[in-house]
Amino acid sequence: MKKAMRIDPKDNTATALSDIEAGETVSLVSKSGQVGEITAKQAVPLGHKLALTSIGKGDKVLKYGEVIGLASQPINKGDYVHIHNVESALLPPPKEVK
Amino acid sequence: MEFLGYERPDGSAGVRNHVAVISSGRCANEIAATIADSVQGAVPIIHTHPCVRLKNDNEWALRVLSGIGSNPNVAAAVVVGIGCENPSSSKIGEEIAKSKKPVEVLTVMASNGFQDLMDKGLTTARHMVSQASQMQRKPFPLSYLALGVKCGGSSAVSGIAGNSVTGRVLDRLIEAGGTAIFSETTEVIGADHLLAKRAINEQVAKRFREAVDRMEGRIKATGEDIRGTQPTRGNIAEGLTTIEEKSLGALAKTGTTSLQGVLEYAEKPLGKGLFFMDGSAMTSELIIGEAAAGVHIHIYNVGGGVSSSFRCPPGWMGEIPILPQISVVSKLSKPRDSQEKEFFDIYADTIVEGSESVDQIADRFFEEIIAVASGKLTRREMRSGYREPIVMYTTGPIL
Repeated sequence: MKKAMRIDPKDNTATALSDIEAGETVSLVSKSGQVGEITAKQAVPLGHKLALTSIGKGDKVLKYGEVIGLASQPINKGDYVHIHNVESALLPPPKEVK
Repeated sequence: MEFLGYERPDGSAGVRNHVAVISSGRCANEIAATIADSVQGAVPIIHTHPCVRLKNDNEWALRVLSGIGSNPNVAAAVVVGIGCENPSSSKIGEEIAKSKKPVEVLTVMASNGFQDLMDKGLTTARHMVSQASQMQRKPFPLSYLALGVKCGGSSAVSGIAGNSVTGRVLDRLIEAGGTAIFSETTEVIGADHLLAKRAINEQVAKRFREAVDRMEGRIKATGEDIRGTQPTRGNIAEGLTTIEEKSLGALAKTGTTSLQGVLEYAEKPLGKGLFFMDGSAMTSELIIGEAAAGVHIHIYNVGGGVSSSFRCPPGWMGEIPILPQISVVSKLSKPRDSQEKEFFDIYADTIVEGSESVDQIADRFFEEIIAVASGKLTRREMRSGYREPIVMYTTGPIL
């Protein structure tokens, strides 16, 4: 089974350790070993993130046990998480990629 | 746990036993290299620092050159110069002498010409190597060890593979009483508050914020503002969503311990634990700054892709003087990259492959650090025959 890594127990996102297809169920691993499973709602490329819980608009998105940004859209469990639904809590994204 | 090191007169322990032949100014590079190349066990420290620089850069050059001579991996040092350099050969020698190790200063101006200087330099270096070669390694606790760290060529998995593993290893060394230094001020701009939170007290947090502001001020003075340029288009394609995420991935290599202090470039830490050194993200400058601050081993983390392919992962071709470097690779995605596995000490791609956990890789990585500290040669150290001058961080103009 493919894997996604939850880096810190507090995280509400996991990072894909290979390209995950929409609808695919993958093993969820921590730094020490497997901690569960998660089904991706959309395709998630290697190194990209998927949501482990539902995250309300404006709520904190967590990776490394820290806030990496705020949800700009409601996010469902298993959703692909990236610039389309998360914004920096510090800085707007670079103009060229807006 | 212990490692086998060389006892130094100042109470420190070295993991290597070099005799450094240090050129005090670029005009003496050929002299230093010729002497070192003629004596097995001697290492030349050559560089491009000219005498036409401002006070601040000259002071930094003094700290770098004397810091390398004082590094515990150096058993003894010969400083060679013309006699008119800035920083002066004698000042470099005086600073190295504070570490109580043997040091000799030789200049053309204080000799009967060039050949006399060469003869004295060769005799001195041979004598020092002869003395150093009789030293035996003995056990030291891990609290004597200091690591320098840098990541580069980051990929989508750097933050979870190589950097996470390095963070675990740093945490473990610091728990054992050891020290680690990281740098790259530009790397933390935009997420500096995340690191400031880890400062041991408000004074350290303030010094850290000042270092970041100063770097940003220098950049802004050129008319550029780098806030708002991160993450880059390439980072976003690799899965990094925000500046916070990028910086946290980079900071993962620093582990989770408190930030004990903020150092100027090439400044020695006064205590143990985790330290931040102000400086650029240029690998060669950074390694030398950490070496001058007294680290024993450098850890270089490569994300993967093309940066793992050109066989000079530290952004520095050829031999790195004084320090063994342990190189780590996170991801070798292409066949072109896979042939490079042989050139890394730690292969962390097993996290992505699924055959090892972060903790398992951290275990063998920690064992490797102790082995290298006890004398095991790294892949990087085994490459010899090509050398570049060391590069120092400067902020002023060349006059």
